[in-house]
Amino acid sequence: MTVPLNDTDFLHVAATTDQLSTIRAFVRAHVSQAGFSELETNNIVLAVDEACANLIQHAYGNDPTKSIDLRIVMRPTEINVEITDTSTPFDPKNAVLPDMRRYFAEHRHHGLGILLMTRVMDGIEYVPAGEGHPANTLILTKLRTA
Amino acid sequence: MTSFTSIAEKRESGVCVISLSGYLDAHTASDLEDVIKQAIDEGCFKIVVAFAELEYISSAGLGVFMVFIEAIRQKGGDIKLAAMTERVFSVFDLLGFPILFQIFPTINEAEEAFPTEA
Repeated sequence: MTVPLNDTDFLHVAATTDQLSTIRAFVRAHVSQAGFSELETNNIVLAVDEACANLIQHAYGNDPTKSIDLRIVMRPTEINVEITDTSTPFDPKNAVLPDMRRYFAEHRHHGLGILLMTRVMDGIEYVPAGEGHPANTLILTKLRTA
Repeated sequence: MTSFTSIAEKRESGVCVISLSGYLDAHTASDLEDVIKQAIDEGCFKIVVAFAELEYISSAGLGVFMVFIEAIRQKGGDIKLAAMTERVFSVFDLLGFPILFQIFPTINEAEEAFPTEA
C-alpha cells in the first residue's frame, strides 16, 4: 500500500461528454494505486462514468456552462467517490431498475447506467441539495477486499 | 480527449466487419451509430463488430447495438460480436447481453456463423 489512507483528491470539470475521458483517467489514477484489483478498478471507473454521463446528458441536458466536481476519499476499509452537481435533485436509488429480459424483449437502448452502478459498487448514497449545502452529492462506495 | 474509431469493411462473403478501437462511451457512441446506420443504408444486414482494439465500453456503447438489432433481424440479418477483451466482455456480461447477442472469439468465427446464401 503506497497511497496514504484518508487521502483525498478533487477534480472540477465542465459537464460535457468530452470530459468523461478526463473523469475516467482521474478515477483510474487514484483507484489503481489504492490496492484494488484490475477488475475492481475497471468497475469503479465504469460506475463513475455512468453516473457522470447521466448527470451531463439527463440532469444538465448537455449544458456546457454546468460543471461536476469529483472527490475521492480513501478510507481504511473502502473508497468513496463523491460526485457533486447543481441540477434538480434526483436520487438514483429511486430509479426503477430495468428487468433485462423485458429490456431485451422491448429492444430498449437507454437507461442502463444506474443498473450498472448498482451491480459493480457496494454502496450508493445520495444527499440532495439543502440548507448549508447548495449542491447534490452522489457517493459511490467500494469496499476493500484485500 | 476521448479517442474512438470504427472502420467498416465489407467482405466477399457479404458480411460487413466493423472494427472498433479506443473508448466507446456517451461521447463517442453516436460515431458508432453513424457507421452502423451507414452500413445498413448500404444494404448490409450481416454485421460483425470486432472489439479487439476497444479499450473501454460503457452502457452508452451497449445501447448502440440495441438501437439496430431489431430492424436488422427483421431483414434476416444479425449483429454478431467478436474478439472481445476480458475487460469489455465483463461489461456485456454484467447486464446479460450474451443472451441477446452471439459473441465469438474471432472475427472469422463470427463471419462463418452467418448462413451462406444459396
